[in-house]
Amino acid sequence: MLATFDSHIFWEALSSRPYWHGALLALELTCLTLVAATVLAFFLALGKLSRFRLLRGVVLVYNWFFRAIPTLLLLLFVWNGLPQLWSVFTGNWYKAFLAAFIALALNEAAYMSEIIRAGLISVDPGQELAARALGMTRAQILRRVIVPQAVRIIIPPTANEFITLLKLTSLASVISLYELLGASTVRGSQDFRYLEAYAAAAVYYLAIVSVLMAIQAQLERRFTWSSTGRRRQRRVVVAPAVPAGPHDAR
Amino acid sequence: MNDPVVRADAVHKSYDGLEVLRGVSMEVGRGEVKVIIGPSGSGKSTLLRCLALLEPVDSGVIYLEETALGGLRERELAAHRSEVGMVFQRFNLFQNMTALANVMCGLVEVRRLKKAEAHERALEFLERVGLRDKAGSYPDELSGGQQQRVAIARALVMRPKAMLFDEPTSALDVELVREVLDVMEGLARDGMTMVVVSHELRFAHHVASSILMMDEGRIIEEAPPEQFFSSPTHERTRRFLALVE
Repeated sequence: MLATFDSHIFWEALSSRPYWHGALLALELTCLTLVAATVLAFFLALGKLSRFRLLRGVVLVYNWFFRAIPTLLLLLFVWNGLPQLWSVFTGNWYKAFLAAFIALALNEAAYMSEIIRAGLISVDPGQELAARALGMTRAQILRRVIVPQAVRIIIPPTANEFITLLKLTSLASVISLYELLGASTVRGSQDFRYLEAYAAAAVYYLAIVSVLMAIQAQLERRFTWSSTGRRRQRRVVVAPAVPAGPHDAR
Repeated sequence: MNDPVVRADAVHKSYDGLEVLRGVSMEVGRGEVKVIIGPSGSGKSTLLRCLALLEPVDSGVIYLEETALGGLRERELAAHRSEVGMVFQRFNLFQNMTALANVMCGLVEVRRLKKAEAHERALEFLERVGLRDKAGSYPDELSGGQQQRVAIARALVMRPKAMLFDEPTSALDVELVREVLDVMEGLARDGMTMVVVSHELRFAHHVASSILMMDEGRIIEEAPPEQFFSSPTHERTRRFLALVE
């Protein structure tokens, strides 16, 4: 079987420009989307934890809507539907990359907001109480006490989200954004050497996720508060589990 | 009797329809130490939280020196909170900060001190509770007694007008209680105004100016320690003391 695997084609594909380009595009889109989604999700999470019913309701509707709509449908809606709704979107400036970014970020924010909310409520209420007793304001308490501690809890599920997003960017090939998967399909159909073409794409995904996992480990150490960095890590096992979103079929 | 530093006047407080404080009045004069005892659910902790301005009262007034703080909203209360130090049963040290950073936090965030100045003053107060050498340790690396001493330093460094202690030793292993009580006795000797919820009766006997007995949301008895222990007037107090001793 392996005899049919042409390693020359594999290496050629691996080092080709469309692959590099596609991988970079996927990575760029993933990072931008995750950053934008996290910022939006932070405020959604605060809204959900707010005393005000109206605010909680708005977040509830947002999360309901964007979790219910399949990502692919949202992507097509943003790319094909928006220009029909507002003529501004027919302009040349409205690129597939931007459409993919908007669709994925809106979608991802709904998932991230639940992760962030779980992180925020996992922080011992005594921490906030002590901070209030010192006379700190709500914003100071969030910035100095609650968010840093919530981050520790949020890192692992967020790394999962990153990986999910990385894969979801391949959906953008339907709106003619040629990221990694798009590039490999094109390469494979050139001479029907799909095996080599897909294997080369897989290598890129493996490489990206490897780097991500190294960064995750670094971050987790950074947000572990003991001078040795060890003792607390064992404790973290009993930290409240954060419900991870469904990852396969968005 | 000198001017009261902290005073509660006819304070009522309910949670979800349950009346936890039913008209509590008390005051602490400068340099006095008042120890509050009473069964769980009697409203001791709630009273302390109201005095610490952590909870708005339903009716009645909390006075901080001459300033009436009754009927204030959450945001208005916050400004006055740093004038009263609060120590919690479960320490509540900021887990993401070293002992030093915990003590510096209020100075930097609330008092707006320069980092260098806050650093120096925080070290000075860690020294005072005997933990200067633990400045770089995180709460997880400290014993319960050490954590509570850092928590006391964190409150003290703000130079509060009064210190409130909510069962400061009841989450501690027996052999760690002493080191915390020693620090508190030192404070009392230095003339700090204190309100202490505690069942450490020996500490109360030693240090308290007077002891308050709470039951079902009311203060039912207040007397200097000698009198309180030797001849409690209230039947409820007698029964409670018999149980605690």
